[in-house]
Amino acid sequence: MQNLLRLPGARLVTHAVLVLAIWRVAMLVTDAVDPLTDYYIALVAMYATAMFGMVILVGLSGQVSLGNGALMAIGGYVFAVTTLNWQTVPFTSFPMNGTWAIVFAAIGGVVAGLLIGILGARLRGPYLAGLTLGIAVGIPAIANRFPDLLGGETGLELTVPYPDGGYAPVDDTGTTDEPVDVLPTAQAGASGDATPAPGDELTLDTFPTEQAALPTGQPPLASSGTGTGDELTLDTFPTAQPSGGTGDELTLDTFPTATPEPVASPDLSSAPIDGGTDALAGVDVGFVLERWQAGLAVAVACIVGFVALNLVRGRQGQVWRAVRDDPVAAAVSGISPSTSKVSAFVVSSLFAAVAGAVFAQILAYVGPGAFGLGLSLSLLVGIVLGGRGSLVGALLGAVLLVWLPEFVLQLAGDRGWPEQVTNNAPNLIYGLLVVLVVLVAPGGIVGGIQAGYARLRGRAGRSG
Amino acid sequence: MPGDAILELRDVSVRLSGLQILDHVTISVPRGHVVGVIGPNGAGKTTVFNVISGFVRPDSGTVTYDGRVQRRMKPHHLTRMGIARTLQGVGLFGRLPALENVMQGGSGRIRSGIVSQSLAMPWTDIESERLRVEALAALDQLGIADQADRLPSELPYPIQKRVALARAMVSDPDLLLLDEPAGGVSADDMADLAQLIRGWVPERSVLLVEHHMELVMEVCDLIWVLDAGRVIASGTPDEVRSDPAVLAAYLGEDGAA
Amino acid sequence: MTQLIDYILGGAGSGMIIALMALALVLTWRATRVVNFAQVGQAMFTTFIALSLQTLTGSWWVALLGALVAGAVVGVVVQYLVLRPVKRMDTSGAIIATFGVLIALQAAAGMIWGGDSQAYPQPFNNTALTVFGREWPISAYDLVVIGFGVALVIGLTLLFTRTNLGLAMRATAFNPEVARLSGVRVSRTLTIGWALAGIVGALAGVLVAPVSGISPNSFDILLVFAFTAAVIGGLDSLIGAVSVGIGTGLILSVVSGYSDSSNAPVVALILLALNLALKPEGIFGHNSARSV
Repeated sequence: MQNLLRLPGARLVTHAVLVLAIWRVAMLVTDAVDPLTDYYIALVAMYATAMFGMVILVGLSGQVSLGNGALMAIGGYVFAVTTLNWQTVPFTSFPMNGTWAIVFAAIGGVVAGLLIGILGARLRGPYLAGLTLGIAVGIPAIANRFPDLLGGETGLELTVPYPDGGYAPVDDTGTTDEPVDVLPTAQAGASGDATPAPGDELTLDTFPTEQAALPTGQPPLASSGTGTGDELTLDTFPTAQPSGGTGDELTLDTFPTATPEPVASPDLSSAPIDGGTDALAGVDVGFVLERWQAGLAVAVACIVGFVALNLVRGRQGQVWRAVRDDPVAAAVSGISPSTSKVSAFVVSSLFAAVAGAVFAQILAYVGPGAFGLGLSLSLLVGIVLGGRGSLVGALLGAVLLVWLPEFVLQLAGDRGWPEQVTNNAPNLIYGLLVVLVVLVAPGGIVGGIQAGYARLRGRAGRSG
Repeated sequence: MPGDAILELRDVSVRLSGLQILDHVTISVPRGHVVGVIGPNGAGKTTVFNVISGFVRPDSGTVTYDGRVQRRMKPHHLTRMGIARTLQGVGLFGRLPALENVMQGGSGRIRSGIVSQSLAMPWTDIESERLRVEALAALDQLGIADQADRLPSELPYPIQKRVALARAMVSDPDLLLLDEPAGGVSADDMADLAQLIRGWVPERSVLLVEHHMELVMEVCDLIWVLDAGRVIASGTPDEVRSDPAVLAAYLGEDGAA
Repeated sequence: MTQLIDYILGGAGSGMIIALMALALVLTWRATRVVNFAQVGQAMFTTFIALSLQTLTGSWWVALLGALVAGAVVGVVVQYLVLRPVKRMDTSGAIIATFGVLIALQAAAGMIWGGDSQAYPQPFNNTALTVFGREWPISAYDLVVIGFGVALVIGLTLLFTRTNLGLAMRATAFNPEVARLSGVRVSRTLTIGWALAGIVGALAGVLVAPVSGISPNSFDILLVFAFTAAVIGGLDSLIGAVSVGIGTGLILSVVSGYSDSSNAPVVALILLALNLALKPEGIFGHNSARSV
């Protein structure tokens, strides 16, 4: 068996089979569960995608970066700007689509990662952390500089999925091709399964009506409290509106002012449901946006996970660990430490940018608030808790990031906690857990399990 | 002395933060011989190694390797040039098992880039497998193949030193730079080490920095003595042993040998 | 031209705040070689404590004193949490731990005092001063802030140059092993360093709160500015942190004046990146930011 695994291509085959199996199972799950669960799955997969990169950057290569939230912003904005402004792929006649936009986001991520990596690879720990902290704060703020292109503080609304044939010209915004009165009825009839809605773009005027129609399908969302925008996000923007929501991760709190005061349905997931399903797209009646989002996020996570698996469990993983353990010894062994560090940065930014593009499609929106420092910190929290050097740990961390706030919310509902406590409890737990993990179990959940297993085996070995 | 030098430092001077670490140092390593650099602490021995391996750029002077003057030496190009270096202590990668530690020594020969790595292309497996076999052979030659799967922290210090030696050997170097190979090695293992080093010549050349006089006197064909950044003597072990300048600067002070 | 002068002067108060926070970062760095990214979180927390004291007693001075004491206590607690990974040589762990503390402190503050920005009482006149028949972009309160800052810097300078404790702290910062051998109680010195940093940070918090308001996140941006100043100042240098901190405040004020205050983080980032690319040891430091 050992020898079989050493055959050329064996790694490729095993990794591909593993990833395909995971993908298949995940697809079966997404088809079986309700839209809300699908939405959670989409979030978990999106976080995992970004955190696979963090495992490589922070865990293997040992560079503590807080910039990956900003790199997700780059991915998200590239996705948004290219889909909104290009009808065809530049220099070709291919019609633009969501996949192309993700590719462009990935390219943007690679370029940004190269720039940051070249600067950062020469820096020691705290300097790198500080620089990337600045990047996490500075890059989303750039959106404010270019309000026309990037939507400024308000951000950009997206149609999700990307409409076949592209967006309608900008001046058509807000007008619909079909009678407006179709909208509410169609909506009301669908319990969670949003029917094709006519609007070409998700505009502010169509937004509230659509939202109002929604809660029928998604009972749990209605109960979700609003998050006071006090979570992790660095909001220098005091205007940040609480937009509550189930998906209310560490990051969504400063969700844009563009979001109307959510009265009927505060959840973010509901927003895109109908705005996206363009009648022109010919989407069937059974289309569930969350299911589509989960499918997209899971597929992307699987592809990225496949690449990460190949790298981590291949020679490159050894090289990253070697450079982290002893850069001098690595250099005299024939490894360029700076190239290795930059490559870790580029790979993790690529993953982050792709995750950002997926995030944009989950939110149907990009804006500075969604990609703030809080997002970067979430990614760090996730991999530290899961296990700094482990892809499985990243997945567990992603689950923890999505599940814990929900769990706390439920607990709070049962116990009748004040909103102020409920909203902050997840972050308090994250913060304390991070400190605890660093102090007593630097390997996180996965490291702890491995240590426990090793101890068990050791005991068995001694007694046997 | 044989005329053909595999490595030659000529008039190399290094100043670091106001201190003259090396002052017009000329050292040559004849091909196929074991050459030692000795001197009291702070004489600049390790800096000689750092200049050769490209960690320190000399302010003046030249390094000639294999007949060519090396201007822009980079540490990670060493193994490709046929030079392998061990570090003071062990310098192993703590999170890699012994075998993978040794495999890294062959990094200079890896051709596949990160893109084919990321797609686990079959030829990356062929490369890795070849390296693995070579690394295992290097461990075997040093008699520690059975320790291949252990992490460095699980191995006793002398075995760790051997893993480091195996990592240097796996690149099949023409010139080995050994930085204090006898450090922390017991008297019993010393004889093995001396035999090992003598076994490499004349196929390879060896330059070593060492405190341990017995080993130096036993294995070296030629010795260069540094003191305060200058070469104060050179010659065969016997010549160096009886050199008054050496006795004054080094042996007298230590009372060793 | 007068406009430029106005913008520059307008940055003096905030420059001093940045300088104080940078000073706090430098103090912990010198003590334990850890950049305490939780520093602004600690300052935020102690400022909330001060606000509660203020409401309770009505005295700005009692509140300030409370914040300083709390700052010292929190600083010592955080030091104990961070020191363990440092001793294990887990640099990443130490950095991550400080972020963990930051997250926890912000959440705790949100739980106790709520997430909304609250006003902090203004003890002195904060309107523009009129001197020589001209309105200057600087208020009496700015002068108070600067006064506090100057007093603190003088106090610290005296501490480090004239007292045995200061000497021990400098020796420890220079080389803990040597300090230990010469009889310095190193761990106690480290703890005092963190307590001192906590006090300086707490002072900065109470001083900035009347201007910025206080919420769990209101000081986050200060972290970026202070880190930038501390790094450009050399991270090891007290005088560097103070002078670059004030300079940063002035530059950001000019930038905000001529364009938009939302540009400030980007400008700070550019300053930081340029500094790390060109002169990573900082202007005043000997301490290399680069790895091997």
